[in-house]
Amino acid sequence: MTPGALAERRDLLILVLDSLVPASAEFPGAGVVALDHVLAVAAASADLESLLSRGLQVVEEAARANGVSGFAQASPDDRESVLRQVERSHADFFEALVRHTYDGYYGHAVVVTRLGLDPGPLHPRGHRIEAADLPDLSRVTARGPIYRQA
Amino acid sequence: MATDDRTDVLVIGAGAAGAAVAWRLARAGIGVACLEQGDWVDPRAYPHWRADWELHRHTDWSAEPNVRRLPQDYPVNDSASSISPLMYNAVGGSTIHWSAHFPRFRPSDFRVRSLDGVADDWPIDYATLEPFFDLNDRMMGVAGITGDPAYPPKSPRQTPPIPLDTLGVTMARGFDRLGWHWWPSDSAILTRDYDGRRACVNCGPCDLGCPIGAKASTDVTYWPKALASGARLVTRARVREITLGPDGLADGAVYYDREGRVHEQKARAVVLAANGIGTPRLLLNSRSARFPDGLANRSGLVGRNLMFHPYAMVRGVFDRPLGGHRGPIGCSIIGQEFYETDPSRGFVRGYSFQVARGLSPIASASGGSVGDRVPWGREHRRAYDERFDRTIMVAIIGEDLPEPANRVDLDPALADSHGIPAPRVSYTLSENSRRMLDHGIARAREALEAAGAREVAFNPLLRAGGWHLMGTARMGRNPATSVIDAEGRCHDVPNLYIVDGSTMVTCGGVNPTSTIQAVALYIADGIIRRRA
Ligand SMILES: Cc1cc2nc3c(=O)[nH]c(=O)nc-3n(C[C@H](O)[C@H](O)[C@H](O)COP(=O)(O)OP(=O)(O)OC[C@H]3O[C@@H](n4cnc5c(N)ncnc54)[C@H](O)[C@@H]3O)c2cc1C
Ligand code: SF4
Repeated sequence: MTPGALAERRDLLILVLDSLVPASAEFPGAGVVALDHVLAVAAASADLESLLSRGLQVVEEAARANGVSGFAQASPDDRESVLRQVERSHADFFEALVRHTYDGYYGHAVVVTRLGLDPGPLHPRGHRIEAADLPDLSRVTARGPIYRQA
Repeated sequence: MATDDRTDVLVIGAGAAGAAVAWRLARAGIGVACLEQGDWVDPRAYPHWRADWELHRHTDWSAEPNVRRLPQDYPVNDSASSISPLMYNAVGGSTIHWSAHFPRFRPSDFRVRSLDGVADDWPIDYATLEPFFDLNDRMMGVAGITGDPAYPPKSPRQTPPIPLDTLGVTMARGFDRLGWHWWPSDSAILTRDYDGRRACVNCGPCDLGCPIGAKASTDVTYWPKALASGARLVTRARVREITLGPDGLADGAVYYDREGRVHEQKARAVVLAANGIGTPRLLLNSRSARFPDGLANRSGLVGRNLMFHPYAMVRGVFDRPLGGHRGPIGCSIIGQEFYETDPSRGFVRGYSFQVARGLSPIASASGGSVGDRVPWGREHRRAYDERFDRTIMVAIIGEDLPEPANRVDLDPALADSHGIPAPRVSYTLSENSRRMLDHGIARAREALEAAGAREVAFNPLLRAGGWHLMGTARMGRNPATSVIDAEGRCHDVPNLYIVDGSTMVTCGGVNPTSTIQAVALYIADGIIRRRA
């Protein structure tokens, strides 16, 4: 497997990512948002690149075995069932694929913003917690000591 | 081999315990040199300053040395352990990563044999340690509130408690409905500026370090004061072995500096503070004709009786947002309804509930410590949105009993980057601990449901949960059944002290660091007294 083999399957990868996390009314699909991250982690590890690239080949072959000319030509329902099949047959590939997809997707500023959080570094801004009274602990203290003397 | 200037006391390890001892001794005018295999952590290096901060939790800022694999880390063979040890190697040690949940042991924790007929009593008690708990609280800075009926009265906390926020209030209501104990956690995190340090800004992931020093890692608490009092700290200094003089007393250590050169540091006394895995590793690596099975190991107990605090994680899903991304990740409230032994429960000793905050965006997708990933595919969006910011995680932190078969020894093949044999950890969860965790899971479910959770899921034993490394050079009066005496001195080598988590005779059902540091300060006091 040559380095960059995953990038060569970029179009297929986008479709697969979009099947893992499809676009919805408010959220983009992972094909747009997680792609760069998945390509970047694969580019940093020859083992991962090879695992993902070979896995995509299996996805394509599984789609063809299901009677369509390729994953791209399958309906959304059929794509999902092909992926479920590959999830069972090639668990290591699928585990890595989903993990890095979720990392890239939920680490992305667009998605973080849609979740209602501020994207970007946590510091120096931190988070604001509204000031509140100290909690009422009278019920707990009313029982008296609950530790054993020793 | 280069020979460094002789010092009064050599401390090995600059973490929670080593820092406390170095400060205490230096302040008493004793010459202290400390060798630490890690470096200072530059506050600007923490991932919190980067937009992709969460991605670092499972790579270079992982708490697992086997994942992180930094040059200053050593590998740990944990293939025979159901729990993976976690630690950090730097000035501050594992307190760089810790969540700073800061409960003390209770009085009964020091009297386990007398009260419950299991394990062993400590040779010291809560009353002896109380002044050292208080001193340590002042040095670390504790947020909390006094009056907890689960403890003898405590001195005033340094700052008000960490805000409970919506999540904590929700969970407290659940405990209230059941009539169970709960209390705002004692946390070594400042809610107000204190002692030259800044207050917490509630960013969340303290487990990745604290970039502003609001969390009490010992690089920002004890070390600046220890250095100001004259202690000398050598970083990237990895100790290979402790050396003995002709009189059979410890006389220093051999270490590698950051360029890989070998040095010898001579000392009148040696204090080991390399943690519950690093300390037995170093002792077992320090063999000689006098100690063919490892230094101070005539009892054969060095490395044995490893205790971890097995954790079960129980997660409730609620119908409304809980703001769980705000506030220190590990600190909200503690529940100790099931802490003391009740034979009707089918196990001895007990556990605490540690209520943590919610999960960040990526952790929500992966299932966090419950590990049940949100399904992919067309169900994904709905399933994710049902969980995100709507979960409360209740950790059950169970008291492990010491078992000789649970141990640290040397791996026959694995070594660190200097070729020093690496540790191997063998650990099996005991039947007592299993029953305890199962009880805790059922009770946590009740509490979450009482708080309004509509769905509860759990992880029966968290593998990546070896935060607490304890018991591998235990304290005791009898040299046949313990490694150090009641003053922290090795029975076999009286000027070799051990002060880290290895000293713990039993481990209580709470996070240990407050107690580890109190014991370390107590041992340091003994060194000072004897010298006077
Ligand atoms: C992610 C995480 C969360 C935690 N959360 C909590 C919590 O909320 N509450 C709590 O009470 N505890 C918590 N802990 C545990 C707490 O950090 C430890 O109990 C505490 O730091 C142990 O102190 P110690 O002095 O025994 O060891 P450490 O703090 O681990 O220090 C040991 C030091 O020795 C050095 N060392 C080891 N071997 C050598 C050698 N050969 N040469 C030179 N130096 C050496 C190491 O580099 C290290 O710096 C947490 C730990 C982790 C990892
Ligand atoms: S939550 Fe507070 S203590 Fe924790 S890292 Fe953020 S600022 Fe530091």
